[in-house]
Amino acid sequence: MDQTCGADRTASSSLRSHISGNLNRGRALRWRLGSPEPSPPSSGSTGRGQNESHFQGMRAKLRQRLCGAMMKKVGGVLLWLLLLFIQLAEGKRHAPPGKPTLTSCRSPEKETFTCWWEPGSDGGLPTTHALYYRKENSETVYECPDYKTAGENSCFFSKNDTSIWVNYNITVVATNVLGRTFSDPVDIDVVYIVMPNPPEEVRVSVTQNTDWPFLRVSWEPPKKADTRSGWITLIYEVRIQLENEDEWEVHPAGQQKVFNIFSPRSGGTYQVQVRCKPDHGFWSEWSPSTYVKVPEYFPREKSMWILIVVFSAFIFFIFSWLIYMNIYSLKHCLLPPVPGPKIKGFDKQLKNGKCEDIFSSLVVSDFPPITSNYEDFLVEYLEVYVPEERELIMEDSKELQDSLKSENSTCDNDSGRGSCDSHTLLIDKGGCDKEDGLQSDQEGSQPEMDSKRHEEAPEEELLEYSHGNVHSPDISSEKVKSWPSLFSPLPQYSLSPVNQPSPPEMGKQHCLSDSLFAPDTLSSYFTQPGPSTKTDFTSNYWECNFNHKQSHPLHPQTAAHEHLQAQNDTIMACVEHIGAPLGVHVPNVRPTEYVEVQRVSDENMVLLHPVSSGQENSCTMRRQTEDYSRVKTLNNDKGLLLLQRESMEEEMDMCPNEEEVVSRGTSNGYTASITPTSQKSAAGINTSLPILDERAASGYVDTTTMFGLPTY
Amino acid sequence: MDRAILLLSVMCLGVSTQPNTDNQRLFSIAVSRVQHLHLLSQRIFSEFESSLQMEEQRQLNKIFLQDFCNSDYIISPIDKHETQRSSVLNLLSISYRLVESWESASHSLSGGSAPRNQILPRLSDLKTGILLLIRANQDPSEIITDNSNFQFVPYENNYQNLDDDESLRKTYELLACFKKDMHKVETYLTVAKCRLSPEANCTL
Repeated sequence: MDQTCGADRTASSSLRSHISGNLNRGRALRWRLGSPEPSPPSSGSTGRGQNESHFQGMRAKLRQRLCGAMMKKVGGVLLWLLLLFIQLAEGKRHAPPGKPTLTSCRSPEKETFTCWWEPGSDGGLPTTHALYYRKENSETVYECPDYKTAGENSCFFSKNDTSIWVNYNITVVATNVLGRTFSDPVDIDVVYIVMPNPPEEVRVSVTQNTDWPFLRVSWEPPKKADTRSGWITLIYEVRIQLENEDEWEVHPAGQQKVFNIFSPRSGGTYQVQVRCKPDHGFWSEWSPSTYVKVPEYFPREKSMWILIVVFSAFIFFIFSWLIYMNIYSLKHCLLPPVPGPKIKGFDKQLKNGKCEDIFSSLVVSDFPPITSNYEDFLVEYLEVYVPEERELIMEDSKELQDSLKSENSTCDNDSGRGSCDSHTLLIDKGGCDKEDGLQSDQEGSQPEMDSKRHEEAPEEELLEYSHGNVHSPDISSEKVKSWPSLFSPLPQYSLSPVNQPSPPEMGKQHCLSDSLFAPDTLSSYFTQPGPSTKTDFTSNYWECNFNHKQSHPLHPQTAAHEHLQAQNDTIMACVEHIGAPLGVHVPNVRPTEYVEVQRVSDENMVLLHPVSSGQENSCTMRRQTEDYSRVKTLNNDKGLLLLQRESMEEEMDMCPNEEEVVSRGTSNGYTASITPTSQKSAAGINTSLPILDERAASGYVDTTTMFGLPTY
Repeated sequence: MDRAILLLSVMCLGVSTQPNTDNQRLFSIAVSRVQHLHLLSQRIFSEFESSLQMEEQRQLNKIFLQDFCNSDYIISPIDKHETQRSSVLNLLSISYRLVESWESASHSLSGGSAPRNQILPRLSDLKTGILLLIRANQDPSEIITDNSNFQFVPYENNYQNLDDDESLRKTYELLACFKKDMHKVETYLTVAKCRLSPEANCTL
């Protein structure tokens, strides 16, 4: 069977050829198909084989018939398919038209408008298109009035057909034999589809006869657009491009019809275009280009640049030359030299040992800040002394000042007489009680001292004058050191109306020196043996002035009076001197001793004696401080008006008394007028003794402080 | 004598041109105001449209054609020819009525965004300006005859009690109508201004 059907397959292929008209072949094929297949009969049974063979033959025939039928059927189907295929391949397709599309509708002037569409496929048959529209609020359908004017596939609506502010519903229909197809409807309002024509008559010109020409572009609105009646309002835009460049320069021009373009490139060629747009619509196309050439109006700048370069070089040279000429002054101006740390002139003098000028220069009005009288006192003080003395004094003053600065400086050549001496003196004082001997010694030594004042070692002098205290130098030194901060009882110097210039000098010197740094010294000088104190050296000044014995004021006074007197000046001087210069650093300096006014000498000298240490109370302390007081006036070399904290001076034993005295002195702290008032104070001198307080150690005996002190 | 006549004539000219200048100035102001209103309406409308879906847009487009604006009862020229034929006063009156109708309907317009809230005051300003122009340009004899034009038709509120779809549609219609009417007024005023301008070539 398989063979048979397989043969059928071959038969089908051959069937085609048969269809083409060859029956014989089919017959042969059939025959072939029907031909019994050679079956190998089994050799063996012949008798039986006969029956079998016959049966087999019958079956083969049957098979052949079946295959034949099948073949016929297949052939028919194939035939039919073939026909169909051919037909399809050769023939055209006819279908309804495809769907057209409305591409755009435009109105150039808001009075008419045109719509364009795009047809779809036509289906192989002639297709026609029609445009139908419907106005809003109306069901009437109209057809396009004009298909021709606007070209193919377009519809033109004339003025009569155009209504503004009315919605149009437009549809395009494509029709052919097989059917019709509608496009999608489009709604338009003429107002919003306005796209004008480009502006016309675009002209570009270059302004003539000017050094800086510019371009002037002018144009006209498109003809159709009715701008005159205001029916349509157009705004314009200009664009310009330089030749051989890619970028356009766009300028909005508003509603005007003229536009200026400034600063064109010299010698360049420009291309200008204009377009317009209604207030609610679309931009028109760009107008055709207009070309313009700009003449070369900008001069070649080479010569100009050369001029500029030369000129600037010239200026530069001048400027640099000026700088060079003034380089030093400039340098000085910009980088001023830093001044060295020294005082001009003063240094020199110091080195040279001439202190006077220096000191005088140093004495400034506000130094020390005690009283105004202080200065006066100083001046007078200076005046009083003889040149030597003056020098001494001045030196002392200076020294004092110096000492103020360097408290511990001692025994300098410059520091002068009193420095070291004062130390010793002070020491002595402190160490020894007031003794006449001392006084006398002092007295005696004073002249020596005086003479020695300047250069001699202060220590020596001190030694002499002191109570012979060996320790004087030490003491002095001690005292010296403690000078500034001393508040010890005043170095009582008994003020004695010493007319001798020298003692005063000495005193002064001492004072000076003391004031500076060694009140003790001074005090030691004049310390009548009595006053021990010494430890409390108030301000140097004070000591200078008022070193005097506490005890035995009288006695020592008497003894010392003379000396004192002689020394008074000095003392006073010292006092004041001390006071004055020391004023600076007086505050902390306490008088080593308290000085009392022992008595008032006839010469109007106040003998000041140092108050005993025991009496170092506020008063004395104060007094001592008053040591600083300076001699206000020197009366006839006799009376030193001590500007002191009065404490010392006078009379009092009581501070208040002293105050009085002081007040009398009419000086702030100093009773310069010791002398005049000394008389009164004489009585109280003994007790008086303004004891300089520690407080008064400030160096200046202030009445104020004085007043506060209790009297004793 | 001649000089006096000359002076008088010059003065008369000056006086006569004076109102014209004022007129032009008023027109300019009114035109600028309505232009601004129109731009505003365009903006609102486009915002509304952008907030819609595509399908809704299509539907609305279809529906819109079947309805009409609230101000359709006001007969107005719909093309250039008609507009040219209308007198200035007619144009002004039509503009006035349009503005007035929208002024009464502005409450349905306003609300929501800020631009919408500006509509009513601007409408009022515009109405005032147009009224001034009418008074400046009308002849005493015409007042009586034009009364009919000023009949005020009450605003029909068709937009209340509507469901969402309807309200959306109505809003769309409202905005579109407003935009259109503003453009109308702008055009009328521009044409009227140009017609009254001394220059023949009204390109401004």
